[in-house]
Amino acid sequence: MSTPASILLVGLGGAGCSMVTRLSAQLPAEVAVALLDTDARSLPAGTAQTLQLGRAQTRGMGTGGEAALGLASAESEEAGLRRLFAGVPLVVLVTGLGGGTGSGAAPVVAGLAAETGATVLSFATMPFSHEGERRMRQANDATVKLGQKCHGLVVVHNDLLLQQVSPDAPLSESFAAADNWVGGAIRGLASAFAPGALIAVDPAAVRSLLSTPGSPTLFAYGVGEGEGAAMKAARAACDCPLAHAPGAVAKVASLFVYVAGGPAMTSTEAFEAVAAVRTRFGGETSTVLCARIEPALGDRIEVSVLGASLPAPKAPAKPKKGAKAEDPAQPIFEFATEESMRRGLFGGTPMTFIDGQDVDVPAYIRKAVRLPPSP
Amino acid sequence: MTPKPLPSLIAVIDIGTHKTASLLGQIIDGKARMLSFSERRTDGVVKGTVTDLEKLTQCVHEVVNDIERGSGRAVDHVYLSLSGPAAEGERVKGFVAVPAHDGKVTAKDVADAIASAKRLEPPSGRATILYMRQPTMLDNRPVSNPVGMAGKRLEVNFWRVTMEEGNMRMRVGMVNGMSIRVRDFILASHAAACATASDADKQGGVLVIDMGAGTTDWILYYKEHILCAGSIPVGGEHLTNDLSVALRISRETAEDLKLRFGSAMHRDTDVNQTIWKDGDKGVGDQQFNRGTITQVLSLRYQETIEFVRKDVLRRLEAIFPGHAVKLDQNMIPSGVILTGGSASLADAAEAVQLVTGLSARVGVPNFENESLRKPEYAGVVGLMTAAITDAPPPVRRPRGFLAQLKELFRL
Repeated sequence: MSTPASILLVGLGGAGCSMVTRLSAQLPAEVAVALLDTDARSLPAGTAQTLQLGRAQTRGMGTGGEAALGLASAESEEAGLRRLFAGVPLVVLVTGLGGGTGSGAAPVVAGLAAETGATVLSFATMPFSHEGERRMRQANDATVKLGQKCHGLVVVHNDLLLQQVSPDAPLSESFAAADNWVGGAIRGLASAFAPGALIAVDPAAVRSLLSTPGSPTLFAYGVGEGEGAAMKAARAACDCPLAHAPGAVAKVASLFVYVAGGPAMTSTEAFEAVAAVRTRFGGETSTVLCARIEPALGDRIEVSVLGASLPAPKAPAKPKKGAKAEDPAQPIFEFATEESMRRGLFGGTPMTFIDGQDVDVPAYIRKAVRLPPSP
Repeated sequence: MTPKPLPSLIAVIDIGTHKTASLLGQIIDGKARMLSFSERRTDGVVKGTVTDLEKLTQCVHEVVNDIERGSGRAVDHVYLSLSGPAAEGERVKGFVAVPAHDGKVTAKDVADAIASAKRLEPPSGRATILYMRQPTMLDNRPVSNPVGMAGKRLEVNFWRVTMEEGNMRMRVGMVNGMSIRVRDFILASHAAACATASDADKQGGVLVIDMGAGTTDWILYYKEHILCAGSIPVGGEHLTNDLSVALRISRETAEDLKLRFGSAMHRDTDVNQTIWKDGDKGVGDQQFNRGTITQVLSLRYQETIEFVRKDVLRRLEAIFPGHAVKLDQNMIPSGVILTGGSASLADAAEAVQLVTGLSARVGVPNFENESLRKPEYAGVVGLMTAAITDAPPPVRRPRGFLAQLKELFRL
């Protein structure tokens, strides 16, 4: 099967498209980019493939926050989406949940991509606590649905982004943190498919890591610089807020660790970083390591970690159409949803709203206060 | 309806999200002497809302059995506390134009005004549980007893507490299930205030904040009367939950760390202070940054107090529309009294002072029995105090469906 690219990075909805557009400048050649939205204005004419969803339903406008409209829009473009995903081994879907297109279309898009045989990894951002009840519920529902459709799901809480920067930093700076995380993941995954790595890896191993739909996914990213850069990067990855998000997976059975550095990086350094990461995240069953030299990084080293809790099955089962959710005999490994992720002991109880915020979510998360580091 | 004489035995039950406490007292010369006390872990209540009636009923029966066994006396009626979002309060008014023949207010005028206030129906599906008297106004001046005074326009005010009918029947039914009548409901925040605030406090003005496990109830007294009351669905469990989420520890560990190392104030010196979970530094012991604990708790605690402050202002603005209402020491000279389990959190008073700008202190219930002189028992002790001071009820209840229903439970 000849494919134009080994990884397809898909931005879905307003938030997804803008993040992918920001990222597309710094991507390796193995990554193709596609933008999907109902709103024609988010789809600039350029290098990226674009697909406007739901022309009949929305007539080029957005969905106005209606998830049902987003869902219908994606279903109406089924043929186009199948064409887009044909022959791509790995699809990385980036979307913002809470709005109409992201919440409604993401499960459909992910489902179609999985049906065409691609391994689907999704990055979904959750709305800020201050965006109110409706968007939060919509996002919450969407995470559950999306989790059943794709092979890996990393949830990025927007509240978390605010904790990454000083309170007076511009908003763009906090979004840059999310760009870094997703960018790191994509560079790591792309390098697994590209030749010329210092420690090469079989692309199939990465795919098999994510082969079980609905298993909890771990993702962390860190960068280090200067003296002992590898260890600094590993420590940064261990402290990555994504891995520390309340309810995130603490330890996993299978890990994919990607280490990239400038020409000065040695194998020893790379292995040290991997050892540090393994101590924190596990990876007892299997740890797939990929290291490569990127001259552009200079004296910086970056570490991305992707993990899944379940050992990869021998023959990755192709997701069957519509069979996942309905078959009671088949266990569904649900993702840690919004409920258990952030509401802790209150998960499963009705949300309590004061001033438009769910007050069961810890105050420090809603106020975006960065906690002192643990000893 | 003639006022009933004070019974010689009073039993009260305070159903909280975390604990259910019951106290049986013998009334001698208008003072309660404790006969027995029981306290059990509440089951079936989440965030102040009943989720499992069967478990809760079981729990209530257990505490009643405990106090009966402990005292050797049979309980035939109880006072129940009322807290959380289920009890909604609002101000109702009644007017009467004083007939002009001599311009003096008669007892009948007062009764008419009261009747007109109570003619206001509660929202559909809700039953009136309590009327609490607020200042009577004669020509817009507060008077304590208007009868015999000259004036034109008499206005009576009540703080009316209503509850969803089904919810009220459920609570009454729970107690009736063991052949015990509900003599009355008492607002939990009012009870907490009765146990901790002096008459002088209430006369000047005081805000009592009762932070339990599931809810934070508050009540504001001004010139001896209840001005308004409210409830925030956030409590001590939220403190525990925040800590458990932030440190990824169990509820029990979080609860323990909260009590041992928690504070309502976050100080720079807490950061980098390492604390151990068990202290023996053995296998399974964990170390934490104390700064994380105080940061997480102080944010939640202060936010909750801020919610209370906003709620107080919102209700005051509804009562005095168009006036610039300010919560300050002039209006509330006695400041804030903190009660409930979470009042024991270190530096709680300081945090309240910081958020509200009012002086604050932790209220310890004034009770003969030393074991109950803790802020967490302000509710149950206050129920007893309120039952004594408020009986016979100062205000007659309407003879509607509810009155008849209550009559049934009472005799």
